[in-house]
Amino acid sequence: MSNFLQVLIDGILSGLLYALVAVGLSLIWGVMDVINFAHGEFLMVAMYICYWMGFILGIDPLFSWIASGIFLFLLGCVTYKVIIKNSLGKAAMAPLLATFGLSMFLKNFCMNRFTPNFRLLSGTIMEGKTFNVGGAIISVPQFVTAIFALVVIILVYWLVKKTRLGWAIQATAMDKEAAELMGIDTENIYLLIFGLGGACVGIAGGLMTSYLAVHPEVGSLFSLISFVVVALGGFGSIPGALFAALLIGLVESFAGFYIAAVVKYVAVFAIYLIVILVRPKGLFGW
Amino acid sequence: MKGSRRLVILIMLVVCVTMMAGSSAFAAAKVIKIGALFPLTGPAAVSGQNCVNAVLAAADLINKKNADIDLPLAAQEGILGGYKIEIVQADHQGKPDVAKSEAERLYNQEKVFAIIGCYNSSATKPASAVAERAKKIFMCGCSSSAALTERGYNYFFRHAPTDAIESNEFVDYIAYLNKEKNAGIKTLGLIYENTEFGKHAADEARKAAKRTGLDIVADVPFNNGATNLNSEVQALKAKNPDAVFGAALGGDYSLWVRTMKQVNWLPKIAINYCTGYQNPAVQKELGHDGDFFMGGMGYSPELAKKFMAEAMKVEKRYYTPRSNQPFDSDSIQEGIMLHVLAQAIEKAGSLDTEKVVKILRTEEFPCGMALSGTVKFAPGGQNIKTLSVITQIKDQKYGTVFPLKYKDTEPVFPMVPWGKRN
Repeated sequence: MSNFLQVLIDGILSGLLYALVAVGLSLIWGVMDVINFAHGEFLMVAMYICYWMGFILGIDPLFSWIASGIFLFLLGCVTYKVIIKNSLGKAAMAPLLATFGLSMFLKNFCMNRFTPNFRLLSGTIMEGKTFNVGGAIISVPQFVTAIFALVVIILVYWLVKKTRLGWAIQATAMDKEAAELMGIDTENIYLLIFGLGGACVGIAGGLMTSYLAVHPEVGSLFSLISFVVVALGGFGSIPGALFAALLIGLVESFAGFYIAAVVKYVAVFAIYLIVILVRPKGLFGW
Repeated sequence: MKGSRRLVILIMLVVCVTMMAGSSAFAAAKVIKIGALFPLTGPAAVSGQNCVNAVLAAADLINKKNADIDLPLAAQEGILGGYKIEIVQADHQGKPDVAKSEAERLYNQEKVFAIIGCYNSSATKPASAVAERAKKIFMCGCSSSAALTERGYNYFFRHAPTDAIESNEFVDYIAYLNKEKNAGIKTLGLIYENTEFGKHAADEARKAAKRTGLDIVADVPFNNGATNLNSEVQALKAKNPDAVFGAALGGDYSLWVRTMKQVNWLPKIAINYCTGYQNPAVQKELGHDGDFFMGGMGYSPELAKKFMAEAMKVEKRYYTPRSNQPFDSDSIQEGIMLHVLAQAIEKAGSLDTEKVVKILRTEEFPCGMALSGTVKFAPGGQNIKTLSVITQIKDQKYGTVFPLKYKDTEPVFPMVPWGKRN
């Protein structure tokens, strides 16, 4: 029983982390129809920010996630202004290729600047702390990250669904020209969305620094899983991203433990393929 | 007048161009290009870069006059009467297909005389197949898959102990602990990356365990570069083996150790193949979390102080300034292979590949950078003089615990539980 509970909790905690990483991507994809290929590298940048803040200034990731969230918000805004804005409305693949270029730049910049070394932040407040629930051991850093993920996702959902700004975002996502005719500044909406997407991944990356190693490739697999989460949950759907991420976390955890660890990603991508074949717009897509 | 001035300028131009061309041709003629094919990006990039730095350090040892270092070729400048080794670096990213295409590029376009590489056994396999087809030399330092030297290749030479040699040493050590220290180690768990290296290491571990009657109760392969290893470690914990053999590189190794801490579980002993365990950078990041793990090694600063004084001189002069750390067991083996290749070329007296290969196949090469002191290859390319010891890490220092001839530390076992560490 405790094995089952442990695997269940591991799956939920992983799923919530995936949801936080993916929610920003989902927003950008859903509202702007732009695939941000640099999403994983944004995560990596956030991790490096918190790593160096911890290593040099002694600021714990429990607090430095604020800095990485703000920095990634700004990076998202700059990416929109400098790269995305200039590629929108041109060739269909232009924004995708532009963000792919950005991802290569960020990865190689970090590789060159910080070397490919794996860096682990030691002596953090939450390091090695665990607590017990019904025989299952829960890692405090993962638990805190999951709580943050849930709070951030609820806030983003509230912003999009319950505020005037959110209605403007939804209107822009549905019909950009009509939204402009209604007086919505779609330019600023796009800017905000890219910033918000960056901030979400910035918070996720910052918190992850307390228990995962930082290196230039760290964003790659998270990025791939984020794409799966977004496509599975439905483009632009925040509840969809949350549900899909939890599903992926649980499938990964249960398949990894009860079938074989090596098949966990096979199971994840198999579920993804089945859902996409049956329902191409994703579980919660419109 | 104008015409003669033009003529003088033209003649001078021709002379200059001829001299430049001549000098570059001369320079080109005095250089032996050697490819260094390693994972410079990707999950194993840290180790790959260390390997390249070791090869560059060995090239410096050969190219420059080092009268105070008592190693073959150290006292002279270059080989074959002044030829300098030029290292051409290439990155296979840990991907077998990239390794194959990069090997083709190095041989066909860069015209390298030989390739040294590739760290990952899965990359070494296709890259060395390219070499064999092209009848070019491939020097493999640390890839440990036993299958690499079981192919009957003529142009492939490998320094490292194979997974088979290490597995036998690991189980012999467990037998010794059981007999002499009453350790009570009866069950074994395997955790390994699902690659050429990891799978072969696990195969050899199974054979060795069967030989000594160790019962394998957990067999856990994993995808390298995973976002988490929770399921994998939970699977080990559920079976609670007395001992674990691990085959995980760089970041995966540190994630594995951290996940074991997270789930508050440790076996009595954990012994690792040539993996992240050997990497000082990974251990530095793990700090005390890395303590009490064991692993097979061919080099450590502690071993070097006792048995490899000349290697330490090379390390201090040419390696540490590049890597900002001492040699590790993997990287030094790549440097050794360049040193051995250079000796073979010098003995052959020419850059005729067949002559050099004949020397490599038949001669024994003294090399103070190797723990064994010499290198000799059997048919198939395996170094029969290879030597590996089992070490245990504590405070980022590798103490040797087995074989008893090299022992300098009393082993700590069972491993100190996470909750009882300072």
